[in-house]
Amino acid sequence: MTVFVVRRFLAMIPSAFLVLTVSFFLIHLIPGDPAAVMLGPNATPDQIKALRQSLGLDQPVGWQYVKYVNRVLCGDLGLSIYFQEPVLTVVLAHAEASLLLGSLGILVVIGLGISAGVISAVRPYTWWDRGFLFAALLGASIPSFWLGLMLMLLFASHLKWLPTSGFASVFKTGGLLNLRYLVLPALTLGFVNSALVARVTRSTMLDVLRQPYIDVAWAKGLSGSVVVLKHALRNAAIPIVTVLGFIFAGLVATAVVTENVFAIPGIGRLTVQSVLRRDYPMIQGIMLLVALLYLLINFLTDLIYAVLDPRIRVS
Amino acid sequence: MRKLLRRKTTVFAIAILTAIMVVAVFSPRLVPNNPYMMNPRHRLLSPRGAYLFGTDSFGRDVLSRTLVGGRTSLAIGAAVATVSLALGIPIGMMSGYFPLLGLGLMRLVDALMAFPSIMLALAFMAILGRTGMVNVILAVGVVYIPRMARVVYSSTLVLRDIPYVEAARAVGASTVRILLRHILVNLLSPVIVQSTFTFAFSVLEAAALDFLGVGVPPEVPSWGGMINESRLFIVLAPWTVVFPGTFLAVTVLALNLLGDALRDLLDPRLRNVL
Repeated sequence: MTVFVVRRFLAMIPSAFLVLTVSFFLIHLIPGDPAAVMLGPNATPDQIKALRQSLGLDQPVGWQYVKYVNRVLCGDLGLSIYFQEPVLTVVLAHAEASLLLGSLGILVVIGLGISAGVISAVRPYTWWDRGFLFAALLGASIPSFWLGLMLMLLFASHLKWLPTSGFASVFKTGGLLNLRYLVLPALTLGFVNSALVARVTRSTMLDVLRQPYIDVAWAKGLSGSVVVLKHALRNAAIPIVTVLGFIFAGLVATAVVTENVFAIPGIGRLTVQSVLRRDYPMIQGIMLLVALLYLLINFLTDLIYAVLDPRIRVS
Repeated sequence: MRKLLRRKTTVFAIAILTAIMVVAVFSPRLVPNNPYMMNPRHRLLSPRGAYLFGTDSFGRDVLSRTLVGGRTSLAIGAAVATVSLALGIPIGMMSGYFPLLGLGLMRLVDALMAFPSIMLALAFMAILGRTGMVNVILAVGVVYIPRMARVVYSSTLVLRDIPYVEAARAVGASTVRILLRHILVNLLSPVIVQSTFTFAFSVLEAAALDFLGVGVPPEVPSWGGMINESRLFIVLAPWTVVFPGTFLAVTVLALNLLGDALRDLLDPRLRNVL
């Protein structure tokens, strides 16, 4: 197992370097003088020159790259032009909202996706099955921002069950009641992303339910819930774990939009605002962090996979 | 084709798509009102005779803007699908056929795919600026070219070692001939399926960019942009958000239904997998 972990970890390093390189070239893809573009049309030549120097844009590209890699490895992601604070500090200040939203979103994904998948697999080709399959397809097709607005219209404006938008910290002011701000956003996030889980659960459950040991379990006279949940779902769990990486990517993408719909001060909203503010060091830093997190999640997924299925470790 | 039409949902999807495309192409002649004309006295009117879908906060006709906005979405979707085919197929085929080249190119593709789709598109919009539809096509294209390349790459890897390709090599067929006559032809099924999904997802992606205020320029009507402009009036005038959103969702749903049907038809092995 240790060999597998080490080997898999080492395999991650080249990808991480490429991600680093892509994020470095983001600023260099800006047509014209990046410093002038960042400061906008009202900047004086002196200001532009000063920013060019402080970003090191007046040096050779190769040297800039070496310095960039060096400083990122030391944990320095640069200075945000808008906040005039280190990028990492600003990102961490926005992390709570995103992490809470993401965690609740994953709960919704697992709850909706797995239960829909299991019911579909237990009653295949019935109206239940077709209904869930259609709902999954709808989830993949419906724009998340529109779904969010529709939920807001129904549950917040008409029924007044939940607040329309905003966010209150759970950790600073305390009180889990503050999570009510995240109910609608998490439902939006969850519904849009549960399609994949539902489909994978359904197909693996269908396979597992055809295995002989399931027939034995039925023959022993075990109850339906024990057979389905204990015997079948446990063994179907492995392929479901493998889609975790995809779900993470999907959650991040929809969170960018959902945070904007519900005015949640998270990293997704920060990204969009940074694009509007032309705060390139901020965009660069967020992109790098999110991509590295994605690589890390895939690494962890592989580890869980290896723990659940010993055959993977050997091959 | 006949097999494709056997399923009712597929017929439904094709009918919807045809209708939306026809409407989009002829929308400048079909619209009941000028989609750009502001009429302050007719602000936020509910749906009625003269304005079937009501009016928005500038007094513009929502129906006319929805019909014209479809052009934007479909044009971007079709363009991204084309760009991803034009670049994804050669990149994927070359990488699959020449292992050394593939090692390098596929690492780059993997690195690009590590960035969540909308974030990559947002970053490219930040670089290119909100100056026109071409920039949106490029920004969304950057997201979907690697995905197409990946699909082509993995199919080429399999096809390269299949006996009839080896036979072609043995009788002295040139590399170009093998790639074009033996491999490309057999790649078509996965490529057709992937490009349908690319179309669907890029419509959604571009609409999300429009909604976030970084897509096509504000003066171009688009479904995402209309929803963004009207979100503050959603309680007062829900029709301004409901209609463009429904058109968007139905278009993407129809594209996804078509993609599923094509996948089942062209690759029966996958029918129960995904």
